[in-house]
Amino acid sequence: MKLSIYSLKNILFQGEASLLNCQTMAGEITVLDRHEALISVLTAGIIRIVDKDKKEQFFPITSGFLEVKPDSDVRCIVEQ
Amino acid sequence: MEMVAATKMRKSQEIALASRPYAFAALDFLATVSNLDSAKLPELFHDRTKNPSTSSGPRVLFVLVSSDKGLAGAFNSSVFRKFAAHFEKWASLAPKGREEQLFVAIGEKANQYLSKKGYNVVKKFTAVGDHTTVEQVKPIADFIVEGFLAESWDRVVVVSTHFRSALKQEPHVRTILPIDFDHIAETIKEIIPERGKFADLIKEQNISFIPSKTDSRDYLIEPSAEEVLNNLAKHLFFMQMYHIILEANASEHSARRMAMKTASDNAKDLGDRLNLQYNKSRQSRITTEISEISAGAEALS
Repeated sequence: MKLSIYSLKNILFQGEASLLNCQTMAGEITVLDRHEALISVLTAGIIRIVDKDKKEQFFPITSGFLEVKPDSDVRCIVEQ
Repeated sequence: MEMVAATKMRKSQEIALASRPYAFAALDFLATVSNLDSAKLPELFHDRTKNPSTSSGPRVLFVLVSSDKGLAGAFNSSVFRKFAAHFEKWASLAPKGREEQLFVAIGEKANQYLSKKGYNVVKKFTAVGDHTTVEQVKPIADFIVEGFLAESWDRVVVVSTHFRSALKQEPHVRTILPIDFDHIAETIKEIIPERGKFADLIKEQNISFIPSKTDSRDYLIEPSAEEVLNNLAKHLFFMQMYHIILEANASEHSARRMAMKTASDNAKDLGDRLNLQYNKSRQSRITTEISEISAGAEALS
């Protein structure tokens, strides 16, 4: 899936990823390919992603939003 | 000094641009969320000026954004002039039942100006430094939002500088609370200067300001649309405040650059003139001496 994570200071991640794991107000969720369209509010925690080379990356955040578009396009805007 | 200010100006422009993807994503996100059927607008969007919370009428908070340090040419005075003009016009419009006014000063110069005029400064924020960081804007945004939610004021007006290009900055009056979609979109568009090094970026990266209209009924929303909007409103407000201050920062540095350029040009001019004067008087002394010597030699022979 296409994933982009933006913060006010810079672009944290942009590109292909296979997995996204984060804390939302409704609990912890993992987003994979072909996820249902979703809008959610992120809470303080650590975003874990697995990119296309099977490498893990971690980003600590304090708040933010998650938007999963119908065509495997995921976008996060976060506050660090 | 000119070079220092020029470097700082470039740096502050870069900082403003670094947050641009975030701003576009947030705007797009807002467009999606605001399409939701059940969406009820959070309190930050409410216009309370029609039915004020107090008997004394609605209260307005003026926020003046200026610099801490002087020597920035017309940067501060143009903001103050704009404020005074706006204030006068507004005061003449509402002679009775006039809105109560409160003031917040950002930057030492604004604080000095407001105190001198004897206005009621609720709070001042100074020592923002050469480049604003997210951490420095947070207390300002929080203070304004909390006061708004606690109904200490019903409207927030910001007077700051709009960075049009390195050579042109304009003072600008904006109403930032209650939140208005169009105002936010406008602020985001203004992140990119009209001319100069960064102006072409907008064409290169093919950024459109028209949000894609996806059918929001397809979206699953957690925990609820209201909750999402409520959070988003705070984020958007913070982002807007951040950009206003960044823009003021970039403007300050370019105004200072211009002022310093004029100062060094003037100094050079003055130096040249003094040098000429010195050479002239030196030459005339030499001429006098030579004529004295030749006159003496002639008298002897």
